[in-house]
Amino acid sequence: MTETGKTFNIMFAGVGGQGLMLLSAILGKAAVDTGLRVMTGEQHGLSQRQGSIYVHFRIGDPISPLIPYGRADMMIAMEASEALRYIEYLKEDGVVIMSNRIMPSVTETERVVLDKQKKTKYLTVEQIVERLKQVTKNVVLLDSLALAIQAGNERTENSVLIGATAACKDFPIPAEEVRKAVLALVPPKTVDANSKAFDLGRDAGGACLES
Amino acid sequence: MTVEDVKRVDKGSALMLANEAVVRGALEADVKVVAFYPGSPTSEILDTFGEVLDHFKDYKMQIAANEKVALETVAGASMAGQRSFTSMKSVGMNVASDSMYSIAYTGLNAGCVCLIADDPYAHSSQSEQDGRYFGMTAYVPMIEPCTAQEALDMTKWAFEISEKHKTLVIIRTTTRVNHQRGMVNLEKLERTPFKKNKWKDVKGQYFTVGSVARAHKAKLLEKSAAIQSDFEKTNFNFIVPGDGNVGILTAGVNFLHAKEAMQNLEIKLPIFKLGTLFPLPEKKISEYLKSLSTLIVIEELTPYLETQIAAIAKSVNPSLNIIGKKSGHFSEMLEYNVSIVEKVLAEVLDKKPSIDYDAVLSKAEGLKDILPERPPIFCPGCPHRGTLWSFRQALQQLRIRDDIVFNNDIGCYSMAFLPPNEFSDSMLAMGASLGISAGMEMSLDDKVIAMVGDSTLYHAALPGIVNLIHHNSNVTLFVLDNSVTAMTGQQFNPNSPFDAGGQPARKINMEKLFEALGADSITIIDPYETRDCIGPIKEAIEADGFNVIISRRECALYGDRLKKQAGEKIIPSENVKDTCRGIYACVKEFYCPAITIDEADGKMIIQQDLCDGCLECRQVCPVDAPQHMEVGK
Ligand SMILES: Cc1ncc(C[n+]2csc(CCOP(=O)(O)OP(=O)(O)O)c2C)c(N)n1
Repeated sequence: MTETGKTFNIMFAGVGGQGLMLLSAILGKAAVDTGLRVMTGEQHGLSQRQGSIYVHFRIGDPISPLIPYGRADMMIAMEASEALRYIEYLKEDGVVIMSNRIMPSVTETERVVLDKQKKTKYLTVEQIVERLKQVTKNVVLLDSLALAIQAGNERTENSVLIGATAACKDFPIPAEEVRKAVLALVPPKTVDANSKAFDLGRDAGGACLES
Repeated sequence: MTVEDVKRVDKGSALMLANEAVVRGALEADVKVVAFYPGSPTSEILDTFGEVLDHFKDYKMQIAANEKVALETVAGASMAGQRSFTSMKSVGMNVASDSMYSIAYTGLNAGCVCLIADDPYAHSSQSEQDGRYFGMTAYVPMIEPCTAQEALDMTKWAFEISEKHKTLVIIRTTTRVNHQRGMVNLEKLERTPFKKNKWKDVKGQYFTVGSVARAHKAKLLEKSAAIQSDFEKTNFNFIVPGDGNVGILTAGVNFLHAKEAMQNLEIKLPIFKLGTLFPLPEKKISEYLKSLSTLIVIEELTPYLETQIAAIAKSVNPSLNIIGKKSGHFSEMLEYNVSIVEKVLAEVLDKKPSIDYDAVLSKAEGLKDILPERPPIFCPGCPHRGTLWSFRQALQQLRIRDDIVFNNDIGCYSMAFLPPNEFSDSMLAMGASLGISAGMEMSLDDKVIAMVGDSTLYHAALPGIVNLIHHNSNVTLFVLDNSVTAMTGQQFNPNSPFDAGGQPARKINMEKLFEALGADSITIIDPYETRDCIGPIKEAIEADGFNVIISRRECALYGDRLKKQAGEKIIPSENVKDTCRGIYACVKEFYCPAITIDEADGKMIIQQDLCDGCLECRQVCPVDAPQHMEVGK
């Protein structure tokens, strides 16, 4: 299936409070329900919001809980700059599924305001993607918030990203299993919106990867 | 999700965090009393036991004031015939160890297990302490799992060893085991109802001093020898056969890194995987060493195993070439991973790593040069942000920034050493700010100020406070009363009217406590009324004697949860741009992650979905520009 024997490696990246752990739980359930083995290395600990966080997510026949550098088949980033922060894990031409959302850090905001000439600008998604493209041509950039709003609930961004993930042809879990896991684990009242968000993400992801 | 798997009665397999697997293991072993003080990377053990407490209702649980009390609690339960369990982070055992060493001497009755978690790389700890020496120096058996499955199996096994040899058993983990999720096989869960015992039916003698201690020591040595002979036979110490006479010896998560590194290199060296760190199965190790010309010892932190293996090799295979830390191949720093291990294996075998990891890393570093860092920061709505801002203002207004020393303590507020505060002259260990203050107060011609959170107050600060008051010290103490132990996941503490799993508890009255101790003044401030805090803080700093400022406002994450439960909405704030004059106090002095800049007009904007609506930023703004969303509409 992939480089490391029979293991498919996904690096999740995001910012504390974005629901990375739920995302990991959803894919974990989907994998287990499909009869695949899963192992993760997660970052817990300091419980502050807005810190950089990650999950090493490994499906198939993983041995170590940590993905070795250069061996992630896929990266799912819920915040754009966090995709770049863990780029050393992505294999050449691995797939990046990322939100175009940027949450500037406070130190960056401070640099912007301290520059009297107003030359210091926030890092842009375009700059980030340009860097990512030096490792892979397979970057799926999603306006996850817009798609979530289109699905009827702005809190369904994660389902958009998961939908796009399921559209990836190497992804080892059947899309319908992933959808089932999403719907089983999101709050019951949001099932419809999450289902739509999943479809929108899958269509958007599929379109990106074909072109 | 996974707590459902913890509760499952039937056999089967599940995907579980190792910390949850530990809970499941203890439940399968019919544990009856558990007590904890939280600390990363073990907090999910406490949290999971709390979450399923009401479901099982057949074990007792307390969140203890500190780790020493937690260990004593479970030891007491064991003496009383109840199987018991606690866990703590590495430095937690420093606090608990005074009792631990005595418990080792007296022995115990019912199975009693303590998990301690080391944190190589100090992800969330104040040091990279190597806790493995506790077992050896206390003569307490210590075992180490590497996967979620082993975490479950070894927890159950620990109860057996404990009960058979009437001793405490320590399970040692590292962060990468605690926070690893993996597949585990669950056994049928058979719980028995909780039943109190009568002392006369279970009683033993648990004291140790002088001649009694010496007698205990002699027995302890015999016990260790008996345990060692059990450990020679256990399947948790095993050899994975391989080719050639270069072999590996390792334990814990490094076993996994080593196996994956070998797969990448397409080699198959024999591996001795140790499950017992103390006592070591010396005979089994000796046999293994005899078959080798080179041994690669893979362990994080100190050369704990390497030193002992070298001593064994000296008699059984003196020419053995040992590759480890002393040979310069592995560092005593760092958390290991597949690439670190693979590089050493490749070097020793004169091969090339499967990937040029250094090239991957240096390319990534180059690509990341545009990336702003994302330092740890107070959450939106955090009361500590306001307290520290008014503290700084008070010092500025009194013009005494250079005439004070500020001893910080352990909690979210430790982040005062980071921008925008960047002050804290010391920050060592829970409760240490008070003792350090005592020494400084005698030695310095400056005002001494200390700061503790509510959990730290009851954990280890009280003796230091008593000491300061007793000695008539001139110290100003901030107590940050945010209702919970925030940093480790908002657990309850003696400052809460609740205990584990939401059981009712008695909240200690903080003001009365300080009053009774004889504090010279006790002032309560509300950090959300940030500006109004400055005056009282100035007074408390200027006054002679022991003056206490209690800054009271619940942790924002906890507060949000309470609001959610009550069906209340969080009303975010907005920056009124017509009022905003671009002074940026909210940015430079405040560092709220919900605050960013609109590049179009250079004015501040508040990210609605991040904002907690605390309006501390309005207090910091000289022109009151931020306001609640509804006000403007
Ligand atoms: C001996 C010891 N036990 C546990 C910890 C883990 N720990 C780090 S911060 C913290 C919370 C302290 O709570 P509190 O003082 O109330 O501050 P808050 O985080 O709520 O601001 C704990 C328990 C530790 N560092 N040392």
